[in-house]
Parts: sequence; C-alpha cells; structure tokens
Amino acid sequence: MKLKDKVAIVTGAGQGIGRSISLGLAREGASVVVADINGEAAQTVAMEIQQAEVSSLACATDVSKVDSVEKLKDRVLQTFGRIDVLVNNAGIYPACSITEMTKELWDRVVDTNLGGNFICSRAVIPHMRAAKSGRIICVSSTIGYKGAKDGSHYAASKAGIIGFVKALAREVAEDGITVNAICPGVTDTAQPRGHRSDEELFAMKHSIPLGRIGQPGDMAGPVVFLASDGAGYITGQALMVTGGGFMF
Amino acid sequence: MADKKRVAVVTGAANGIGRAVALRLAAGGFVVALVDLEEDNAAKVEAEIRVAGSEAKAYGIDATDERQVKNVIADVVRQHGGVDAIANIAGGTEYLKRVEELTWEEWKAELNRNLKTTFLFCREVTPIMMDQRCGRIVNTASNYGLTGAALRTPYSAAKAAIIGFSKSLALELGPFGVLVNIIAPGPTDTPRVLAKSTAEARRRWQGLIPLGRTAQAADIAEGVMFLVGPESNYMSGQTLHVNGGLVMS
Repeated sequence: MKLKDKVAIVTGAGQGIGRSISLGLAREGASVVVADINGEAAQTVAMEIQQAEVSSLACATDVSKVDSVEKLKDRVLQTFGRIDVLVNNAGIYPACSITEMTKELWDRVVDTNLGGNFICSRAVIPHMRAAKSGRIICVSSTIGYKGAKDGSHYAASKAGIIGFVKALAREVAEDGITVNAICPGVTDTAQPRGHRSDEELFAMKHSIPLGRIGQPGDMAGPVVFLASDGAGYITGQALMVTGGGFMF
Repeated sequence: MADKKRVAVVTGAANGIGRAVALRLAAGGFVVALVDLEEDNAAKVEAEIRVAGSEAKAYGIDATDERQVKNVIADVVRQHGGVDAIANIAGGTEYLKRVEELTWEEWKAELNRNLKTTFLFCREVTPIMMDQRCGRIVNTASNYGLTGAALRTPYSAAKAAIIGFSKSLALELGPFGVLVNIIAPGPTDTPRVLAKSTAEARRRWQGLIPLGRTAQAADIAEGVMFLVGPESNYMSGQTLHVNGGLVMS
C-alpha cells in the first residue's frame, strides 16, 4: 500500500471524480477526509470507505468560504493530527454564453473553482511546512488549455489553476511540498451532463484515440501516483488524463 | 488465472537511468529484457535482478542496428510469448559544440543514438502489441526537447522529435489499446553525467531546480513504473516531466 498512515483531504468528494479519487486513495491505505458542499453525499462516500476498513471523515464544506475551510482544517487536525495530501477537486460548471453571463455567475465559478484552490491550499500549507513534506494535487481540466463554448468562466478558472499550481510549486518547494495538477478530458460524470445529452457526450469518444470517454475511476490512478513517495521529484506539472484526446 | 509474468524490454539498461528502470520494473513484477551496447554491464544488472529473485536476460546489441533489434524482440517473443511494455531509455549526448562546429556525421550519430533507436524498437514491438490489443510504450525525451539548450542542438532536436514521434504513435495505436507516453527527466545523477560535470555545474543546477537537488535515477524509474502500470490506464501521448520543477510545461 502506497499511502499507509497518510491523511488526505479531497474536496468535491461526494460524487464523480472526487469520489473516485477518495476511493483510490483509501485503497492505498490513506485516511480520507471526504469534503463536499453536500454533507449527505460526503457521508455516503465516507461510509463506503469505512466499510473497506479504512478510516474516513465526512465534512460539509464550501471551498469558496474561508470559514468553512478553516472548520474543515480544524476537524481534520483534531481527528487525525496531520494533513499529508490535499486534492483540490471541487468545481462547478454551469454552462452559459458570455452575453447571458451575470457577474454573479462568473464570480461563483471563479471563486469556487480557482478561489477554492487558494483557500484550501493556504489552510493546509502551514501544517505541511511544519512536517517538511506534503502533496497538493489540483484538478484542472483540458478546457483550461483549449477552452469550451459557453465555458469562458470555467476555462478561465481551470487555466488559472495551472498558473496557481506552478507558482505555488516554486513557493513551497523548499518546504518539501510538491504541487501538481491533473487535467481530465471529457469524463462521464454528472457535471458535463448539465449542458450535453448522453448522445453528445458519448459521441465524443470518436475523437479520443483510446475510443472511450473518461470514467471517474481513470482519474484516481494519476492522483494516487502524485500523492505517493515515488512522485517526490515531480512538481509544477500538469498530467493530461484524456485517453490521448488531448496531448500536451 | 495463472499469474502469467508481464514482460518488459528496457533499452540502455546497463547503466544510469536504464538500469534503475530495469531494477524498478523487475521489482514491480516484470520479467525484464535488458538491452545495451555494454554487454558486460547489462549482464551485471541481469545478475542483480536474479539475486533479488526476479527474471531478466541481458542482450548486448547495438540498438541502432535494425537486424539486431529485430532479433532481440523475436527472442523475447519466442521465450515469453509477447511484450507487455517497452521503455526506450537508450540515448544520451556526446557533444557539447556550437552548431557551426558540428559535422554531419556527429549530427547523425546524435540523432541515431536517440531517435533511431526509439523508432526501431517501437516499430518492432508495434505489431506484437497490436495483436495483443494491449501494451505500453515509454520513450525518453528531456526538458531540452522543450526548452532547447545551447551547444546541444542535435540532442535537443532528437528529444523534441521523440515527443512528436510518440504523440503520433499514440494516435496510431490508441484504437488497439496500446498506450504511448514520454518520460522527460531533468538533470540526473548518473555515472556518465557525474563523470563529466563539475561540482560548480552541479551547484548551479541545484540553484535552478525548485526542489533543490538534481534527480536520482530512481526518481525517473518511478515515473516509468507509473507509465507502464494500471494507474496510467487512461493516459496516452503525454509527457511526464520528472525534473524537480526545473521546467513546468
């Protein structure tokens, strides 16, 4: 087991990619803090992990709110006494054309997707710094590189994550903390369905060399790797997990 | 299902990064075919792997020779029935020269050592992996393939070419379930590099690398292990930079 005795926080962990990442980290022995704005969904995932006899804690957390994230951090430290891994996964994607987009919607997307990365990372770094080790893994998106129609807010937030990751990687390298991103391509979760039919979603497989769209489980492996000791010399990088659909 | 051993070919396996990759794959459960021009050193790695309880076989060949490459892969298939993974690590750079001082022969030697060897081995394993409907190919680039480097024009060109080649191959082989990825090591403490670099040069690197140290061969080997393992099932055509943050692509 690659992550025995490690404590990992995963945000947006109540469903989709975040849930799969949580299960993947737990499978490698990590105690997983399942944070989600939907406390019930978080509880369900935490119970799933506990049934596999790995410790887990559910937290109802809004990553765009400093108070909420502070509470999360305090609970994690009270329960486990340490934070080894942070996976910034929480994000939203309410598709909208720019002319229809209110400033409020723009702010909500950027505050959650990008601001959440800042708020959560800032909260855990003092503890990782004191431990002289830590792993921060941010979930960006290929859309941060190539854009998407009706996704200007989302693309900006996801591209912002890449800049944030590189800057933070430089800032905390001397503390033994690595910071990396994964960029899923189109993935079979509830999130992209908001503005696409199943037919449209699955038709995208034809543009992917591996012949299928991503499953949430596909995203867990690269995160587990980045969280493991073996990836200790990798920092400031973005791994495209796209079935070859986007190469960088 | 009986636990049929997975088989990996590692080129440049006698020293440095190739050796570390071979040891890591062997520890990770692969039977490893060790390919290197330096037969004696490859045999030492074979012995090391056998002592640790895994299986390996050394092949002393010139990886720029079509016929010898063909023979090695044929022998591996004869013995093990297939090739599950190949790590093309063989390569490196001999020259530190301004472009106007390079001869055509030197240019070609550098391209052959890096790009031709990669092409020959990929071409040889491709039909096998297509038939298997699965397989992993890992080719070796370098941060110089992206950034370029003064006095290293042919090496940088070869490494950039390996990235373009590997992406194209990923597109060709994706429909057959064969994944092609690239590992891009930063400056790595291998015997060959250490023999050539001064203490001052090494200090300079450390100052430029956010994580504050040059790579160990084992750091690179972990990246290759990831790229041939189940965790990277949905990754193809990608470059994994293992460089301590020196280059952030």
